Amino acid sequence: MIKILFSLVSFLILAPAIYAGTGPAMAPLGEVPEPADNRTTPAKAELGKLLFFDPRLGGDKSTSCAECHSPNMGWQDNQPICRGYPGTEHWRNCQTIMNSAYYAKLFWEGNATSLEGQAHAAASGAVAGNGEDDMMEERLAQVTEYVKRFKDVFGTERPQLEDAWKAIAAFERTLVQKDTPFDRYLKGDKGALTPQQQKGLALFAGKGRCLECHNGPLLSDQKYYNLGVPENDVFMESPLHQITFRFEQYAKGVPEEVYRKTKTDLGLYYQTKDRADMGKFRTPSLRYLKYTAPYMHNGTFFDLAEVVDFYDRGGGEDAVRKAFGHGTKSEKMKPLGLAAEEKMDLIAFLESMSGGEIKMETPVLPKDDILRIGRQNGKPEKQRR
Amino acid sequence: MNRLHLSFAALFLHILTSCSPSPEPQEDERSAKLLALDTLPALEVDIKKAALGKELFFDPRLSGDGAISCATCHNPKKGWGDGQALSRAYPGSEYFRNSKTLLNAAHARYFFWDGRLSGKDGETLVRDHITETHFMNLDGRLMMERLKQVPEYERMFRETMGGEPSFGRTLKAVAEFQKTIVSKNVPFDRYVQGDSAAISTDAKVGLRLFQGKARCVQCHNGPYFSDANPHNLGLPENPAIVNESMRHITLRSFFKFMGVDNFENLREDAGFYAVSKREEDRKAFLTPTLRELKWTAPYMHNGTLADLDAVIAFYDAGGGKAENKDPLLRPLRLSKKEKRSLKAFLLALSGDEVKAEAPEPKPYRVIENWTEVAN
Repeated sequence: MIKILFSLVSFLILAPAIYAGTGPAMAPLGEVPEPADNRTTPAKAELGKLLFFDPRLGGDKSTSCAECHSPNMGWQDNQPICRGYPGTEHWRNCQTIMNSAYYAKLFWEGNATSLEGQAHAAASGAVAGNGEDDMMEERLAQVTEYVKRFKDVFGTERPQLEDAWKAIAAFERTLVQKDTPFDRYLKGDKGALTPQQQKGLALFAGKGRCLECHNGPLLSDQKYYNLGVPENDVFMESPLHQITFRFEQYAKGVPEEVYRKTKTDLGLYYQTKDRADMGKFRTPSLRYLKYTAPYMHNGTFFDLAEVVDFYDRGGGEDAVRKAFGHGTKSEKMKPLGLAAEEKMDLIAFLESMSGGEIKMETPVLPKDDILRIGRQNGKPEKQRR
Repeated sequence: MNRLHLSFAALFLHILTSCSPSPEPQEDERSAKLLALDTLPALEVDIKKAALGKELFFDPRLSGDGAISCATCHNPKKGWGDGQALSRAYPGSEYFRNSKTLLNAAHARYFFWDGRLSGKDGETLVRDHITETHFMNLDGRLMMERLKQVPEYERMFRETMGGEPSFGRTLKAVAEFQKTIVSKNVPFDRYVQGDSAAISTDAKVGLRLFQGKARCVQCHNGPYFSDANPHNLGLPENPAIVNESMRHITLRSFFKFMGVDNFENLREDAGFYAVSKREEDRKAFLTPTLRELKWTAPYMHNGTLADLDAVIAFYDAGGGKAENKDPLLRPLRLSKKEKRSLKAFLLALSGDEVKAEAPEPKPYRVIENWTEVAN
């Protein structure tokens, strides 16, 4: 109801500027959606916070969620390509956890349908966490503090790995920044945006055509597009990146012809295996972007000026057409003809969507316990032989 | 009857019959066993394939985070085990059993202390070690792509395996290398082949004890000196499998994977029970070979016996205590001198140290013409 009211208010105030696009209106970020089977409680989110920082949920206990989604680096890792598991490099830019609760699907190709699923996939993938389920679950069961917390939150006698992902997702649903100048402006505080930012807003919705995809409260239509983003040169220069690039083609199950041929990330295609989806990536939210450089799925642009210049050119060359003969680049990508000053205005506006940086100290993690013979979790136990 | 040819189905029968009151093996059975102690047959080895396997054996890029190679826990300088009571494991975990020597392992009927893999399938043994979370924890698909990033490997695979580096070809090559890790110049083998001076008089006395009073041959028989059967010796647990949390975690995670009931509360090594799920097999382990034991201390599945004297003393006492202890074990009442002779014989089962040096590291190379070549 409140959300509808906000939308209505924003419509009345901003209608001329904002409805140049065709998608849903920009709006303040509403309440965090929660799945029916995983309601957030303070105790659950607190457990999830510990687990988010705990390297037990990974292969060699070196790589917690927070290693690549660091609270001090915009809840991602500020690298063009994510650092990945030891002995590897990842192949895509690491996305921020901040406001990720609002996405219907996670990852650049939308391969996880929930935060719970994303957490499991990231903790298990060979170039991410490389953890194995049985081992991770037993590591949790070795910690009396966790056994107690899982029982309090989920009612189980011992930690279930499924519930670890639920707790982490609940924690991530608390990582929201909606106190931004942009949100305040939409709610009616005209002074929340500077005159320059207001000019930027008009460009965003008008000449800059950003709103065609970056719309709705999240500033993402959650659809997939090929923009012709240039390749990241690191794939030409680094053996570890070349290894991971091929590994991903192999692991994602493409036909051998595609595995042998492609040197460009095929994005959504790995999910659908539809050649029309080659090279398409999910529109990311623009919120919190002040803290999440570098940008794009392969981190190829270091700052917003490079991003705006890229769109102003109408995007880049279609690598899919070059390699496979059929183009998939979005027809929305056309030269914009922005003046230098307009670009500055646009960037000033983009930064109004970030709000203050939300940092967090690494919590003190509970230690392993020794589960002595004859005792289980502090209670006497019937001993087998 | 040569126990090497006992099937697992016959194992039941064997346990039943060994429960019978007959105190000593019959004379003809004993001489059959005497004959069964023999040299190991030579293995056919593809030298080039094994040479590639050797490279891979020493390459830490066959583990998930690139920290450990096969040679970390099967170190040629430590008798192809790791010299620890309990093996180390993949970083972030520790193991709950002793690392078995690879010396002559290619001759084993079954692999692992619990015999869960067939000895005919060296490739599966290698696969299990590369991919298992507590061993090397590597995704086989990532392994393949790592190897393709090493030009020397690319060339060696094409020359010796008929194609580019792949998971299956890697398993074949390493398994082939394992076939080269075999005894050399073993005094006992020379003795069997007719050189009566190859072992000392003391060792000859030890051989008679081995086959007679000391009863070793009842389980340690055949050319491999193992009946390939599980036995519970009543060996005390190594407390570290519970008192060191990382070992206990690995233990539970393993038995969960093996489908063992009540793994949550396991505070002991369930042994062959994990394979058979029969109560009588709880804490039973497959008889290991005695060959090359000079190089492979400490002993037993949990490394709790530090040296051969401790092992002999353990058997002399009739083993340890357990409900389902193998009735083959009974006090031996060996004299000090007999123990010395037995030890002399046991040491005669070890030959020259089988050495291997780690090959020169072969670094990853960037593929310079990345956009022009096929993946």
